[in-house]
Amino acid sequence: MKVLLMALPTFAMVTPLACADDLQPQPDRFFAEEVWAKVGELSCLECHREGGEAEESSFVLRQTIPLQGKSLNEANRENYAAFRKMARPRKDGLPKLLRKPIGELDHEGQVVLTPQSSGHLLLGEFVRRLGDEKKQEERGSPPKPFFAGVTMVNDQSLLRRLTLSLAGRLPRPGERDLIKKDGLDEIGPVLDRIMTEDAFYQRLKEGFNDIFLTNGYDGNGELILSYNHFEKSRLWYQKYDLSHIKDEKERKEALYAMTREYRKAIRNEPLELIAHVVRNDLPFTEIMTSDYMMVTPYSARGYGIYERIKERFKDPDDPFEYLPAKLPALKARNDNPVNGPLVQESKTRFYPHAGILSTFQYLRRYPTTETNRNRLRARMYYQHFLGIDVMELADQVADAAAIDSKYKTPWMEAADCVVCHRTIDPVSGLFQDFYNDEGHFGPRQDGWFKDMFVPGLEGNDLPKEDKWRALQWLAKRTAKDPRFAIAMTEHVWYVLTGRKALRPPKDIEDPFFSARRRAYKMQRLEIADIAKRFAQANFNLKLVFKELAKSPFYRADGLDAAIGQPDRKAELHDLGVSRLLGPEQLERKIEAIFGSPWGKLKKEMEILYGGIDSKSVTERLGEPSGAMGAIQRIMANDLSCKHVVADFALAPDKRRLFPKVEKNMVPGVLPVTDLKIRKGIVHLHARLLDRRDSVDGPEVDRTFKLFVAVVAEAQKRKGIDKRETYHCGRINGKQVDDPHYTLRAWRAVVTYLLRHQEFLYE
Amino acid sequence: MRRDFIKLCCQAGLGLSLPIGAPALLSGKSKEADPYEGPYYVVFNASGGWDTTYLMDPKGVNEINRLYKEGDILTHGKHKFAPNAKQVGKGMSNEDFHKTYGNELLVLNGMDYSINNHSPCKRYMATGKLDSLAYPTFAALVAACRGPETPLAFLTFGNYSATGNLVPMARIPYLPSLNLVANADSIQGISRLPYHDDFAQDLIEKTLEQKANSPKQKHQLPRTEHSASMLYAAQSSSKALKRVEAKVSGEVGKVRLHRQSEIALSCFKAGVCVSANLSIGQFDSHAKNDRDQMKLIPEFLDGIDYLMKRAEELKIRDKLVVVIQSEMGRTPHYNKGDGKDHWSIGSIMFMGNGITGNRVIGETDDGQFLTPISPKTLALDKEQGIRVRPEHLHQALREHAKIDSHPFCKKFPMKVKEEEKLIDLFGQG
Repeated sequence: MKVLLMALPTFAMVTPLACADDLQPQPDRFFAEEVWAKVGELSCLECHREGGEAEESSFVLRQTIPLQGKSLNEANRENYAAFRKMARPRKDGLPKLLRKPIGELDHEGQVVLTPQSSGHLLLGEFVRRLGDEKKQEERGSPPKPFFAGVTMVNDQSLLRRLTLSLAGRLPRPGERDLIKKDGLDEIGPVLDRIMTEDAFYQRLKEGFNDIFLTNGYDGNGELILSYNHFEKSRLWYQKYDLSHIKDEKERKEALYAMTREYRKAIRNEPLELIAHVVRNDLPFTEIMTSDYMMVTPYSARGYGIYERIKERFKDPDDPFEYLPAKLPALKARNDNPVNGPLVQESKTRFYPHAGILSTFQYLRRYPTTETNRNRLRARMYYQHFLGIDVMELADQVADAAAIDSKYKTPWMEAADCVVCHRTIDPVSGLFQDFYNDEGHFGPRQDGWFKDMFVPGLEGNDLPKEDKWRALQWLAKRTAKDPRFAIAMTEHVWYVLTGRKALRPPKDIEDPFFSARRRAYKMQRLEIADIAKRFAQANFNLKLVFKELAKSPFYRADGLDAAIGQPDRKAELHDLGVSRLLGPEQLERKIEAIFGSPWGKLKKEMEILYGGIDSKSVTERLGEPSGAMGAIQRIMANDLSCKHVVADFALAPDKRRLFPKVEKNMVPGVLPVTDLKIRKGIVHLHARLLDRRDSVDGPEVDRTFKLFVAVVAEAQKRKGIDKRETYHCGRINGKQVDDPHYTLRAWRAVVTYLLRHQEFLYE
Repeated sequence: MRRDFIKLCCQAGLGLSLPIGAPALLSGKSKEADPYEGPYYVVFNASGGWDTTYLMDPKGVNEINRLYKEGDILTHGKHKFAPNAKQVGKGMSNEDFHKTYGNELLVLNGMDYSINNHSPCKRYMATGKLDSLAYPTFAALVAACRGPETPLAFLTFGNYSATGNLVPMARIPYLPSLNLVANADSIQGISRLPYHDDFAQDLIEKTLEQKANSPKQKHQLPRTEHSASMLYAAQSSSKALKRVEAKVSGEVGKVRLHRQSEIALSCFKAGVCVSANLSIGQFDSHAKNDRDQMKLIPEFLDGIDYLMKRAEELKIRDKLVVVIQSEMGRTPHYNKGDGKDHWSIGSIMFMGNGITGNRVIGETDDGQFLTPISPKTLALDKEQGIRVRPEHLHQALREHAKIDSHPFCKKFPMKVKEEEKLIDLFGQG
């Protein structure tokens, strides 16, 4: 029998990465990269390890993914010795190593390898080779350092990437100077300041919503408040006195606005808890352990606690001023005895808050049914807070239908089902007080299921006296689990790069298996190391942002030579950020560069441009479709239309795009004018694309040629209007003159540049 | 030449780089990709797990169905199906569906999903591979193989939609969204109001093309190189979207599958799309199975009917290849809440171009357990037969689409043993 949390590495004792790397594979490449990586690690380690189902057996193995250097060599040697021992010939036939995995010799784990499968054949080869003397080339040589030949982004570009990514703005001169002076050492302090800005918290909430998706719960915001507990308060706005607004239409609009703001305020509460914890340098474990929730003057009215806490608000009319508050334990509507089960037990008289886990928003976003039995919530708990996707890779079984019909409760009896359910179901039981699809408080009428593993967490049963605060009990344990720190570090990695941390490769027939495993391992070591420091720093999430920002995985930017070997290419396939900006991010970048957002990406084009609605569309598109390519063209056309002429109309020192060129500068007339135009292009390249080009660099040359060609072509054509166009060329309602076609040529240049990867990606 | 170039761009998913060689500015107008002319692939997903005993695999025994008995089961040609005309409110009854499409419908009953959890089952059904997160769905794969240069090669409206990094997925939520992107170089999409004079626009495009073709000043990471290629391909191919404009119907269906079908068909007709993943959810009928399935199956069949009829009007019906599936079946018994839970045995249906209809392959018994079939004869074979699993079907689909020897298929092999390959599943002889 296997347990679910198969070889889930805790990485508690990981060695710092510091770009260290694997040593020479021990005892040889064949064992380390073939037998161990493809069979031992994937098929045996799950049970045959300390803490595993087969820890009592004589075949106990060690994890190697979290290890480097000497400790890795030691573990490899110990694993090799264990394999060698199992490979000893037996009088009654083949060695155990070849028979146990195929389910023979009473292997308790039953069949883990199909006879003659690739894995099984590898074991056969291992047995065959044992008698052979090792050739030198079989031992292998140490691999090249993982980052060998990889170049890092320059410090100024790193700064710009971070300010745009996390604060939606360009770097300030002072920040540039600091980085220029002290380089990477100053990234931390600069980030500390960025992480005090409101824009950072906007980005933080947006990023964590991508992960928790709490904004996507069903229905209007206030529907998290049950009729049975909040019937008198949840629709407070309907009776709110707006009589001071005399005009009926205005009064109605005010009511609508108030309703919208209330709904938005209440929906945002889980994400505001995250922002509150980070803003106040609280341990990030509080997103699970906080014994409070976040409320605003509006949402507090919905919960019926406004009068009790109103003095604490700076502005009671601000619908979005959030502060921590406790909810009293829930009482049934009208104290009616019929509603007895809806009365919440509490030894503190308060609702047993457990951070996000106990928010009605989270519970409503992940509802349950009579047969789901809170398993979805348990699954999301593992995914969100421990970084484990229990559904990621399910084992194939011979006949699942037969198992289902053979057992009355297959999840407790059939080994293939117990594998997961023994871990999932106890956690499901911890959510038992919220047994409905609306996210409301309400235990199951018939009591919790007897035909499930009892509520608890990974072998620890929930004590009866803690039942009323089961989620707090879960949160407390989770906060101490090393996997929590790793999961949160992975979440920050996602926020910074837009993609999930690498998963270990499973397909041993993939020709790039070893390369992918190395890529996974190197990234895992980095994440684990940062997670360790995160925990040591009292779970201050800001540290994770700072450490990842400095990490070579985030800074990798290029190569010092082309890669010829496919293996090496596969190793580096995920390296570097190179992220297509999402609609929100692109709007913020546009605002930072042009002074105002485009506005269309957040409205009618959000989903079309790969955004999410947190409900049915929950994953951002990482690569542009043709439709997105069209939107990029519209955006480039529209922004240049809106900003080029307007920028030229400003005094030079006020201009963002063209501080040093004028529309009467015509190319090809005087060398000095051409030089000024080239300097103007250098400025545009820097502002729009973060390029540091020289006036005669090849890309400046290309842009210059475009400018020249447009002007020259216009001069050749007859009937060209001497004014800019009506739609793109008006100032104060009047079409501006463009006698040489230079304004329109600059518009072509800006359009061209806005379609570049350097603008559309980070 | 152009086609080859964009193909190369898309192949960047395999780590290839852009070709080198810069044409001079204004040496010729940038050409649009040729329209893709079919076949068009549509995968219908009944997301959540359909009850096959209320459609193509009727039982009526052992209390499997409360709405009919074994004697009520209907037939059309080789097909047996559950009666539901009396229960249908909105949508299409099984009776009407089989009457209309029975002659072109291929049904495979008794497919083994192997497991019964939504997430892995969806992945397995969509890709044919259970133990990998990297494999593309069939719809994405066929799009990448057959029409990588088309701007919306792979359209998806939900369900598992991984692409294996072979081709971008496109989401077009509403029909008017197509109008929005159809004329990207004109103000508010109005053709007579271009942002730039035509020569300036041409110069912009040519300069971008020249840049894409030029040697890079620094060596790029594989990821950056891949992104650059995908971006250029997306922008370049998007010009072809203007062909869609005229095809956009003013009638925007409020019915989910009508809307999705309309968008997909508009894109097919304009030659800008190869495959579409259509999906409706809520089939997960753990409570009130009969109520939910009787509402959703007719809606689902009505969606298929809508697609076929509109395709007929657009004169592309004969180019459609339609796969009709769900990620799991429902148990052969009701739970206490009148619902049915997950069941790892189910069915799949096909029709369209290159598929011989009026055929039923495989079966389940009175307990809804599958009977193995011979992969060679497709006949029932309890002793020597195989359990048909998603990889067998995907292998057959790849062969049907004539992409099984394409490098992308080799990159993501099905690894079905030669002796287990389903011979002539689609009845083409």
